[in-house]
Amino acid sequence: MNGGPAENRVRLYLWWSRLAAMTAKELIQFGRDTLLLIAIAYLFVFDTYMAGNVGMQLNHAVVVVHDADHSAASRELVYRFRPPYFKLGGEVLDNRAGQRLLDSGQALVALDIPPHFERDILQGKPTDVQVQVDASNTVLGFLASSYAAQIIGQYGFDQTLARLGVTERSMQNVPMIRDEHRVWYNPNQNDAWFMPIAELLTVITIMAIMLPAAAAVREKERGTIEQLLVSPLTPIQILLPKVIAMTLVILLGTAVSLFFVLHGMFDVPMKGSLVLFFAVTALYTFTTAGLGLYIATIARNLAQAAMLAILVLMPMIFLSGAWTPPEAMPAGMREAMVLSPLYHFIEMGYGILLKGAGLDVLWDSLLGLALLGMVIFGFGVWRFKRQFG
Amino acid sequence: MGQAALVDNDAPVVRVQALVKRYRKQMAVDGASFSIGRGEIYGLIGPDGAGKSSLMKAIAGVLSFEGGMLHVLGEKIDSEAAAERVKGRLGFMPQGLGLNLYPELSVEENVDFFAQLRDVPPEELARRKHKLLAMTRLGNFRDRPMKHLSGGMKQKLGLVCTLIHEPELIILDEPTTGVDPVSRRDFWMILTQLLRERDVTALVSTAYMDEAARFHRLSLMFDGRVLIEGEPDVILREVPGTLVELVAESQVEALLRLETRFPQAEAVGPKLRVFVPGAVPQVARAQVEAQLEGLMVNEMQAVAPELEDAFIALLQRRQPAGQDDAQKSRLWLDGDPPKGDGDAIAARELSRDFDHFRAVDRVSFEVRQGEIFGLLGANGAGKTTAIKMLTGILPPTGGAGTVAGADMRHASQAIKERIGYVSQAFSLYQDMTVTENLRLFARIYGVPNSRLAERIGRVVALAGLSGVTTQLVSKLPMGIRQRLALAGALVHGPRVLFLDEPTSGVDPIGRRRFWEILVHLARVEQVAILITTHYMNEAEHCDHLALMHAGRVIADDTPAALKAALQQEAGQVLDIAAEPVLPALEALEQAGFADAAMFGKRIHLLARDITAAEARIRTLFAERGIQLLDIALRTPTLEDVFVYRILQQEQQEASA
Repeated sequence: MNGGPAENRVRLYLWWSRLAAMTAKELIQFGRDTLLLIAIAYLFVFDTYMAGNVGMQLNHAVVVVHDADHSAASRELVYRFRPPYFKLGGEVLDNRAGQRLLDSGQALVALDIPPHFERDILQGKPTDVQVQVDASNTVLGFLASSYAAQIIGQYGFDQTLARLGVTERSMQNVPMIRDEHRVWYNPNQNDAWFMPIAELLTVITIMAIMLPAAAAVREKERGTIEQLLVSPLTPIQILLPKVIAMTLVILLGTAVSLFFVLHGMFDVPMKGSLVLFFAVTALYTFTTAGLGLYIATIARNLAQAAMLAILVLMPMIFLSGAWTPPEAMPAGMREAMVLSPLYHFIEMGYGILLKGAGLDVLWDSLLGLALLGMVIFGFGVWRFKRQFG
Repeated sequence: MGQAALVDNDAPVVRVQALVKRYRKQMAVDGASFSIGRGEIYGLIGPDGAGKSSLMKAIAGVLSFEGGMLHVLGEKIDSEAAAERVKGRLGFMPQGLGLNLYPELSVEENVDFFAQLRDVPPEELARRKHKLLAMTRLGNFRDRPMKHLSGGMKQKLGLVCTLIHEPELIILDEPTTGVDPVSRRDFWMILTQLLRERDVTALVSTAYMDEAARFHRLSLMFDGRVLIEGEPDVILREVPGTLVELVAESQVEALLRLETRFPQAEAVGPKLRVFVPGAVPQVARAQVEAQLEGLMVNEMQAVAPELEDAFIALLQRRQPAGQDDAQKSRLWLDGDPPKGDGDAIAARELSRDFDHFRAVDRVSFEVRQGEIFGLLGANGAGKTTAIKMLTGILPPTGGAGTVAGADMRHASQAIKERIGYVSQAFSLYQDMTVTENLRLFARIYGVPNSRLAERIGRVVALAGLSGVTTQLVSKLPMGIRQRLALAGALVHGPRVLFLDEPTSGVDPIGRRRFWEILVHLARVEQVAILITTHYMNEAEHCDHLALMHAGRVIADDTPAALKAALQQEAGQVLDIAAEPVLPALEALEQAGFADAAMFGKRIHLLARDITAAEARIRTLFAERGIQLLDIALRTPTLEDVFVYRILQQEQQEASA
């Protein structure tokens, strides 16, 4: 283009003025959408709050007992299944009744003590107890069976010691390895720290995809995109304001959730730099919005956009380590995790909030996030421009 | 046949008494009453939201209602069971092009499906299918999936599917909305033919006032109420008055003077139309002349008013239009706008190809500053593609053009900055207020901050929006929304304005207000306006028209010249009333008047030599014992022009 510096200045001013006008418009529209406001408040406040309350811990799991011995020894074993992990759900008359309670989900564990349990122990004969565990929820089943094994093992150990006549003092001569571990970053192994952070970062991801997708699809659905296309706006000037406005909204939601729910209610420490945390969050939301823009080019209405968003979100969350730790993933999938931007985001989120880590440690995650983000955002913009350019 | 059967035959097919339908608090139908006799084509005319659809659904037995009485085909509809009993004897086609059809199924599969639903025996189905598909000229497209049919064809297929079980009563909800004039005419032909062959009764709704003449009797609906009911002629007699048409030297000045005395004065192309209520022709002329004292007036004539004039008069009688703020403010700050200086839009041999399909084929036309230019044509004729090229959205494959002084081949950004655009669907933001929308578009179009308030103030005054500036758009009625869309397109003061079917679904008063503004823009502000429309009587407003068909412009002239050319080529329109009318139509067809067609109870035909034709008709009717009630000459409408031109084009293509 010809035109002197003055004209260029006018052009630049116009460019910014258009961007500002469109961003203001997105924020006005967002503020008028009551349903969306409620959804945002729900996800950022109540959802993270709930995540802090429902930990992955065994909590009053119901144990039913079939005690065919009814002896002091059997009673002692049974009463070792105690709250808060277990709760006795009563006695059943035969093994099959216990099975039925497992089937119907009324009990998580069925303990079966054979006849002559006490006699066998006193005679020093080996004896078996049967523990049946409902492992349809794998985590709880795993916890229940390992706790049960621990209780029964401890009981057997105690019986052995008693039988050997080992006293407190003579114990010191028995060879024994003492397990002395230190738990770092979350010394009380408090679920209420881990879960809400993971949930908050997941919510940020959902919003970062859904909000721009919804804002763009709404324009298509209501035909307003037509009016924008005949205006002097470029596709970039149409899509950037959506991403900017929605990033602002998400940052605000994140701040509320972080300060009032995570820190305020669950005392999640904020060890690292908050500036860094919010900067990373902004980068993450901005770039992930590319996926939302891409969805908006395919979907014809809001319902389709929501379906597509779920399709994109599931693998992203699954591969992020929010639900399953990377170590628990099979080999191929563990490598694939680096492709989920959420994986890098969670690494950085935990690192900054819990470990107080800085860029010196987290630079590789930031690099991964930035590279993935650029690809995703570039792809979204390219598709958007192709459809509306 | 006994006495009972005779009585039954005379009983109305549909009787509606004080029917009330509410959606929560919203009153959809507010005490409508009318009855439809056997063999009648009964019309419901009114704008969107008048309650037509609700009323029709209630009659079809698919919608419950809150009050009043309803009898359909002799059955009192007071329960679901009663509605179920008559459903087999009626056919209902809902609104929307082919919405009741299955897009993936072929034409034949669609028909078969509806026949099976209605338990039509196979032999019977084969016979009816053959006949109906032949009649609708869909026979050659039996295997084509419905989604690949044109709008008009979809609508005809919908009609076939509605008729396949030979219902006694057919209910058609806006069957001609969005359908091109040729298909519309086909549609009416099929309907009248069915009436001739079998004793079918039809209830048809429409938003087009000019279709009123097609009905035997009709109800004008507005706001859930029946304003007036009866035969078209009777309705016109109910609203006495005279229409004065004139051409004044200074149209703007003349219109201003007329408006101060007559609420129904408007500029239509070069003419001024004034409805003088309650006055006989001489008195009306005298009143208009007195009002125009001292102005040069050419060709003044007093004619009979049309149904739309009567409709508007009735509406204004009910709710005298509050004299809203004078909207004669200027768009430009500095006094006079630039004079009408040459071409605002020039298209030269514009073409656009999509893959192997040429959507626009060497189209050329010019629009001058201050001119209202109408682009007409069926869906798929290439209008939208042409507009997209002219507005800089779509680059042309071939040809050239300038819009507002910018070359459309490489200055699309400049074009976008200089034009205003009002789209077909309302496309401003409904969850923002009027001012917020205007502000947004002003800033998008680069109006500097210092001038924002003043610009917005001007367009608000121009479009008569000053009472609603702080309201959310979603709360505004259609008519006001369209004016807002116009205001949004004008906020940066463009000199070229594009409007793509801007008035669909707007009521007649709203449409008239809209046109008042457009006329002001063109005449006073010298804005060039390019508009597409489906309403043929709106086309009359244009200074110049181009008719597009299959990507090409097949006629391009002023409305008057187009009509004159038609009269030259094909002859005049004769309007005949005869008794009995159906044998009269048959006689005319047999005598070689191929284009004779029913218009309500009257027959229209084209004739080159009027006196000879009249003589022939008289002898023909005398031979057959048909009574000729009236024979009159009618100026052809633009619809006549377009149907003729398109058929002519199709014939040329077929013979080539």
